[in-house]
Amino acid sequence: MTESEQTKSTAKPVVACQGVQRIYQQDTVPVYALRGADLTINPGEFVSLAGPSGSGKSTLLNVIGGLDGFDAGSVVVGGVDLGGLNAAELAEMRLRNVGFVFQAYNLIPVLTARENVEFILQLQGTPNQERRERADTALQRLGLGDLGDRRPGELSGGQQQRVAIARAIVTEPVLLLADEPTANLDSKTTEELLGLLRDLNQQQGMTIVTATHDPIVMSYTSRQVAMLDGEIHQDSASAV
Amino acid sequence: MISSSLFSTLAMLFNLSLRNIVRYRRRNFFLFAAIAVAVGGTTLSNALIRGWQVDMLETAVAGLTGHIKLQAPGFADDPSLQNAFSSLTPIALGEEVPILGFAQRINIPAVISSERETRGVALVGVDPANEGISLYSDFVIEGEDLSGPADGRLLIGKALAETLQTRVGRRVVVIMEGADGKSRERGYRIAGVFDAPMKISEELLVFTGLQAMQAALSSAELSRPITELSLVLQAEEDRVVAQRELAAQHPQLVVKDWREMQPQVAEIVDLVDATMAIWFFLIMSALTFGLVNTLIATVMQRTRELGMLRALGMNQRLVLIQVVMECVGIMVVGVIAGLLLGVAMVFGLGDGIDLSAFSESVEAFGMSTLLKPVLTLEDLLLFGGLSVLVGFFASFFPARRALKISPLMAMNR
Ligand SMILES: Nc1ncnc2c1ncn2[C@@H]1O[C@H](COP(=O)(O)OP(=O)(O)OP(=O)(O)O)[C@@H](O)[C@H]1O
Ligand SMILES: [Mg+2]
Repeated sequence: MTESEQTKSTAKPVVACQGVQRIYQQDTVPVYALRGADLTINPGEFVSLAGPSGSGKSTLLNVIGGLDGFDAGSVVVGGVDLGGLNAAELAEMRLRNVGFVFQAYNLIPVLTARENVEFILQLQGTPNQERRERADTALQRLGLGDLGDRRPGELSGGQQQRVAIARAIVTEPVLLLADEPTANLDSKTTEELLGLLRDLNQQQGMTIVTATHDPIVMSYTSRQVAMLDGEIHQDSASAV
Repeated sequence: MISSSLFSTLAMLFNLSLRNIVRYRRRNFFLFAAIAVAVGGTTLSNALIRGWQVDMLETAVAGLTGHIKLQAPGFADDPSLQNAFSSLTPIALGEEVPILGFAQRINIPAVISSERETRGVALVGVDPANEGISLYSDFVIEGEDLSGPADGRLLIGKALAETLQTRVGRRVVVIMEGADGKSRERGYRIAGVFDAPMKISEELLVFTGLQAMQAALSSAELSRPITELSLVLQAEEDRVVAQRELAAQHPQLVVKDWREMQPQVAEIVDLVDATMAIWFFLIMSALTFGLVNTLIATVMQRTRELGMLRALGMNQRLVLIQVVMECVGIMVVGVIAGLLLGVAMVFGLGDGIDLSAFSESVEAFGMSTLLKPVLTLEDLLLFGGLSVLVGFFASFFPARRALKISPLMAMNR
């Protein structure tokens, strides 16, 4: 990856998907999870992906995030064409460009909150001192300043999800992907978390894409995309 | 810069591995216990086997054999003073082959008679001061020891004394062959009766002063004849070098090491090494099954977590390193505990196991009646090192499982 490819240019879209197909083979029967999805996301957008269960929201997020491959079309993230990357290059791309927040909190249970956040910086090769400072800054930003030494098991669901967000943003990725991040949270905690995501989006210009069923989540986003049967069905950005 | 960041990444993975070991402490405890008991038990049994080996070797060497023996070429076929050499033969070995000591002897067949009985024996002329290297120094003597090389009395074994129905202070008659090839008959007084670790020595060996024997038997051609020079080195391993040097210095003599003189003992000693290796690998393969199973379970249980690490961008190499670290970590802790346990058990045995109840059969194996465990640092290190190596190879299976985990497995479905 060259320096220019990593540049977070405002001119270029963060995500550019064209005619993306993803076909799973289930007991020799092909399942079309994506059947030609087109989606372009520009820097600074906060996008929600809605749609019925099985419409392909998670699949699209996984393809964009380089977690899953695709069978046709093209996917460019942060200027990098994912089509030509092998597994190791995809891992590197995820590490450098994408932050993930999963539905289940998915922290490393044996590490403290701070260590969880530092972990990814360590993978990036950040020096010790800087790592510590950046982890603390990220934790503070998400209101977790005092909880850095706790392990995930000693934190509430909402707190754990905030640690996950801190971990996702600490590397300053070009894109934050969140697949139903609030599905396991009550409505009050959900709103708190969404408020934090919106702050990140508005204050830092973080580009965020989140899959959700929840109208509350959609109400916080700047752009609402709806999927149906593996395609983009409606998009508030292109609506009149 | 790159290496220091790699180092801190490895440190982080190590930290993670340690915490994971603690995390599954209940399961790992049983694994630790199994490893510790197996390694501890094997350490103990190997110390005993090693003790047996050392004992046999010592018994063989401490007989009159030594590590290396020099004799005249014809002596093997005709063990008599006609195949003797001069006691002035110099012994010089380089500093790299330190010698514990050497003894010059006349060792010839003889017939000993009391008023009641007659027996064939080996009559050995010695200088008691030089016999610290042989079984002579272990004798418990009733009566008097030989006073020196000029002492013309006899020291005979307790068993022989019983057979001959004689005792300290009595006289016996010895018939032997002189340097001229003619038989001599001489009367001797018994200075002392010795009690040896093995009965066979008591039955076969009769000692007298070397100079006295030389005076009685020598001819004009060879002033101070001896039939053997037995040498004990500080380290048994040096025997090859020592043998080579001595053979070069004394081309007119035959230089043999204890393995050539006692081939059966040498074979058993080698067999012991093989037995220890086989025993070790049997135990280790049983352990490996347990280790592999437990670690695969641990990896499977963490499928989602490992998938998440992959999703975050951790590459497969680091996942692999982490799993291997965990595996080797468990093994190292278990092995250290096992070695400590083994050492504790060996010390618990104290002076050794008393086998005198089986003395007949024990002697048939060429060993003494007290089995002392022998712990060598080399055995412990080799053993510990190999165990950890086994752990390393065992980690291949869980690691392979871990590598199959894709980042998608962190997802919600
Ligand atoms: N690994 C897979 N193997 C087989 N089929 C799969 C796989 N992953 C997804 N699918 C199928 O692809 C389709 C899209 O699934 P996806 O998870 O993207 O839907 P979704 O919109 O995220 O649904 P939900 O709202 O329930 O999370 C579904 O029909 C699903 O069964
Ligand atoms: Mg989904």
